[in-house]
Amino acid sequence: MDCNRCNEEAVMHAAYSGAHLCEDHFRESVEKRVRRRVRRDDLVPHDATPENPQTWVIGLSGGKDSVVLTRILHDTFAEDPRIELVGLTIHEGIEGYRDKSVEACVELCEDLEIRHELVSYEEEFGVRMDDVVEDDPENMAACAYCGVFRRDLLSKYAEELEADLLLTGHNLDDEAQTALMNVLEGDVEQMAKHFDASLGPLSEREEQDEFVPRAKPLRDVPEKEVALYAHVDDLPAHITECPHASEAYRGEIQQLLYDLEENHPGTRHSILSGYEELATIAAEKYAGDDGADLQECVECGSTTTRDVCRKCSLLEALV
Amino acid sequence: MHVTVDVKGEDTYELELEAVAGAAADGEATGDPADATPTYADLLREVELSPHEVSVLVDGRPVPEDQPVESDHVTVLRLIKGG
Repeated sequence: MDCNRCNEEAVMHAAYSGAHLCEDHFRESVEKRVRRRVRRDDLVPHDATPENPQTWVIGLSGGKDSVVLTRILHDTFAEDPRIELVGLTIHEGIEGYRDKSVEACVELCEDLEIRHELVSYEEEFGVRMDDVVEDDPENMAACAYCGVFRRDLLSKYAEELEADLLLTGHNLDDEAQTALMNVLEGDVEQMAKHFDASLGPLSEREEQDEFVPRAKPLRDVPEKEVALYAHVDDLPAHITECPHASEAYRGEIQQLLYDLEENHPGTRHSILSGYEELATIAAEKYAGDDGADLQECVECGSTTTRDVCRKCSLLEALV
Repeated sequence: MHVTVDVKGEDTYELELEAVAGAAADGEATGDPADATPTYADLLREVELSPHEVSVLVDGRPVPEDQPVESDHVTVLRLIKGG
């Protein structure tokens, strides 16, 4: 089967668009979608100049998504003095898993000549995820603890690095799952928060002085295509699954989406585009509500809606 | 034709393409079973995987899943979740 755009052999078929593409045209198509998302989300502000460059911190785990995101952003902005990229890697303390992916991050950043920062749960909080799952004082899935700690460190270091933007490698499958979960949970306020936190164009989000704005430029690209991009570009992505991974509900939604996508190609795209429109409306409705009850955590000073933030209360339970 | 489907890190399946062709034709409302050439997606369906959670490689090269199976050895890489 030939590529739709040239005579080379196709390496992929996208059922949602009908396209068959060769390696080069596939890569071009992914890069185009990421750059279009950067434009649509207004990620490069008009007042960014070479004298006043923007710092973009990328949450770089070493998995395929963040590695592909870093690569494409680097290729897009390497010659643009208005944007400086920094890779931020978090070591959760998972034996034999994170060590290898940290190596992938170091290798990638050296190749691309990008500044790289590495922080760990152990140094920051005195805990390792391998011990947390053994202890499990709250009787929760590993990801529930890990997510709280990771978000805390991403925010903290994005601020310390004086980031203008915090970028993560969430792909279309990730975001369509989250969208569907919020819809099924009936959580309209959460949709509004999602819009203001990472989905909406920067210029349309409600001002949030307390947090570095986030962005997800890979969210138009299906997970399978992100993996294929890493493969054809021979990127040093780490290819082992986290041994503690266990998000039961998300797994159920993921399977449901695979089945829907198989019978109705394009379902993930339509879920996300409809959800983005709903989230825009929800954000307008809830505008002004946010921030009213935000305060500083009495333990660590981070911004929270409680006296003691979730991270500090989990750490308290763990010790 | 006899096809080996090697799901990396998991199981290896030995399939008869004619049997897969029959199953694929049964699953469709129209189409003559004699004309049905199984695709890589049909192979995946036989081993209960979605094309959206794997990459299919033939001789180390990715192939479009909607194409008819032309190789007797297929490697399947499952997507790794996370980051």
